[in-house]
Amino acid sequence: MLEGLLTLAACYVGLGLTFALIFVIAGIQRVDPAARGASVGFRLLILPGAAAFWPLLLWRWWRGVVIPPTERNAHRKRAQEARK
Amino acid sequence: MSHTYSAIGWNRQKRLYDGVVVAGVILYLALFAGVGALVHPNATIETLLIRGLGTCALLLLHVILLIGPLCRLQPQLLPLLYNRRHLGVTMFLVALAHGVFSLIQFHALGDLSPLVSLFVSNTRYDSLANFPFQPLGFIALLILFLMAATSHDFWLANLTAPVWKRLHMLVYVAYGLIVAHVVLGVLQAETSPWLAILLGSGLLAVLGLHLWAGYRERHHDQELAAPNHDGWVDVCAVKDIPANRACIATVAGERIAVFKYEGKVSALSNVCQHQNGPLGEGEIIDGCVTCPWHGYQYLPDTGASPPPFTEKVPTFNVKIVNERVFVDPCPNAPGTRVEPALVSNE
Repeated sequence: MLEGLLTLAACYVGLGLTFALIFVIAGIQRVDPAARGASVGFRLLILPGAAAFWPLLLWRWWRGVVIPPTERNAHRKRAQEARK
Repeated sequence: MSHTYSAIGWNRQKRLYDGVVVAGVILYLALFAGVGALVHPNATIETLLIRGLGTCALLLLHVILLIGPLCRLQPQLLPLLYNRRHLGVTMFLVALAHGVFSLIQFHALGDLSPLVSLFVSNTRYDSLANFPFQPLGFIALLILFLMAATSHDFWLANLTAPVWKRLHMLVYVAYGLIVAHVVLGVLQAETSPWLAILLGSGLLAVLGLHLWAGYRERHHDQELAAPNHDGWVDVCAVKDIPANRACIATVAGERIAVFKYEGKVSALSNVCQHQNGPLGEGEIIDGCVTCPWHGYQYLPDTGASPPPFTEKVPTFNVKIVNERVFVDPCPNAPGTRVEPALVSNE
């Protein structure tokens, strides 16, 4: 059971690292325009997080999301409701 | 504050902060190993290193957890908060070194994979005295990894500040796991009471300062009375707002910051878009509301960062009647310009 879980975790990490390498080279500027032309150092710093959160980033990249989401708090929600 | 990402936005303060942190870690480890070798001549260098790295990470974690409430109680300490993420990453790297050395020392020499060995070498979960404390440290390390890996502003923007903050609040779970890791592990083999006293003092300081800071802040989060002046909310007297600073109140379910500057009053959401820092605890610098946490800036009448930056916060219509500031509780869309109210006697 434990070995199975560790194998699953290893698969997740392996897939994540593979995705993260491709993402920081080719995908990051597609989901966040502020990453266009960013340095190698920046891309290396993002790599571990991209390997951990790869399903989220893959989903955004695949859906063609081109700007980061905007947070929603009480004031922003009310302002949005008032505009409707 | 940047419109394009860089690896690290170095400045003099960050270099100084990081220099002090790195020098402190090296000095601590050298002292720990030196004094440890004198006090425990039979201890191996590996053991001293594992213990030194572990206690160093624990010490750094306490500092990190204390910075937040200390800054709320003493705003003069805000420079400590400015670069706290670097302190967090340093703490993770020290904890990682502790974990890797421990894994090699205690689990790499058997037939099992070190990670499997970590979880199966001791399964006495029903025993307090022999509880398998190492998996607790491993889980804490995983949490600290997630936090360190998402410490760049890219993650703040892409996860959004509220989600990022919730993720980073897991530091308290990690802290609990680490306290249990130490109490159930090292302390049980320790004959000297000093480590227990130090850990207890640290725990009390973290709990006490968080409760104290929360108690001091409680009145800010009490929603002001229902609108009573043609649907507007009476927030404060004009004279109660210091020049180039703000009065904070809760309106429309969240804190707002009412700033007085250049004979005018403007109101905007108190929540900085960067890391949800408290804008109302900042001041007007170069004509902009400046977040006290990381210096993100917004024009007080529009709630928008000056170009080329793109951050925006909601604004509120504001008026002054009989020297009192009234705010329309319906927020405007982020970045909407609102005519400031003029202060009659300034």
